[in-house]
Amino acid sequence: MRSDMLTSTLTDLNGTSADIEATGIISTDGLMMASALPANLDEDRVGAMSAAMLSLGDRTAQELARGTLEQVLIKGDRGYVLMTHAGEEAVLTVLAKPNAKLGLIFLDVKRAASSISEVL
Amino acid sequence: MAHDFEQLTQYARSFTNLTVENEALLKEVGPQIIPHLKTITENFYTQLGLIPETQPFLEGRLESLKAMHTQWLEGLFTKNFDVSYTEHMYKVGSIHVQVNLPVEFMSGGMTLINGQLIPLVVNLFGEDADRCAKVLSAINAATGFSLLTMQQSYQEASIAEELEKFLKISGMSRVLFSNLAKAYN
Repeated sequence: MRSDMLTSTLTDLNGTSADIEATGIISTDGLMMASALPANLDEDRVGAMSAAMLSLGDRTAQELARGTLEQVLIKGDRGYVLMTHAGEEAVLTVLAKPNAKLGLIFLDVKRAASSISEVL
Repeated sequence: MAHDFEQLTQYARSFTNLTVENEALLKEVGPQIIPHLKTITENFYTQLGLIPETQPFLEGRLESLKAMHTQWLEGLFTKNFDVSYTEHMYKVGSIHVQVNLPVEFMSGGMTLINGQLIPLVVNLFGEDADRCAKVLSAINAATGFSLLTMQQSYQEASIAEELEKFLKISGMSRVLFSNLAKAYN
């Protein structure tokens, strides 16, 4: 049931923008809870890497006195990886195209993270 | 291999030629060698004392270290090189890590010990070149076995210590790190 709700949230999020290529909800231990990933991406690696990056982001924000972490954004020449907390126990990861309109994506991701947090 | 001491014992044997015959020979010559081991220990610590880097590890505990050292040396000529010996030496290696002993101290120390034992053996058995060579080979096997098992523990304990530091700095839980490692197996 919860799994369906999480998947539905991801489907909605993917539908909000053609710039979003993949999404995943991951436990803070790095295990995938729900995902909408293309076949060429390994679920385990996306999950573990996302949680690790967010954990490192938390520590960096704390260590460099930047307050509570809101998101981690990675930009490569083939696109973006955006990671954000979805409640205390989960991470929401979004992969987006290089020309993505980040303002809209940030907004949609924030809403989705809030929704996921309520489900969990 | 970390805590499979049977496997580590066989592994260390395969490198050091610590055969049943060598073990038996060590026990056979033990009564002749053991009376000299306190002197060997004294000389060993005298040599260590000449190396400034060793000082912080010796100060205030020299006598207890000497006693443990002599006991270990005697064990080379009395004990079986079995799983419990391997486990003991593995723990000795771990203790060395805990006190932040530089890794080269172990191999350097073992070289100094062999350097002390060789002239003793030549003095005791030099008239029979074949026996002298066999005793030296057996001692080399025993000290090599001890060094290898200690270093194995040292290596693993050092890696574990580094990992612990990394987890603390990065904020990652051990479970997350384990899942990350599994994902890339």
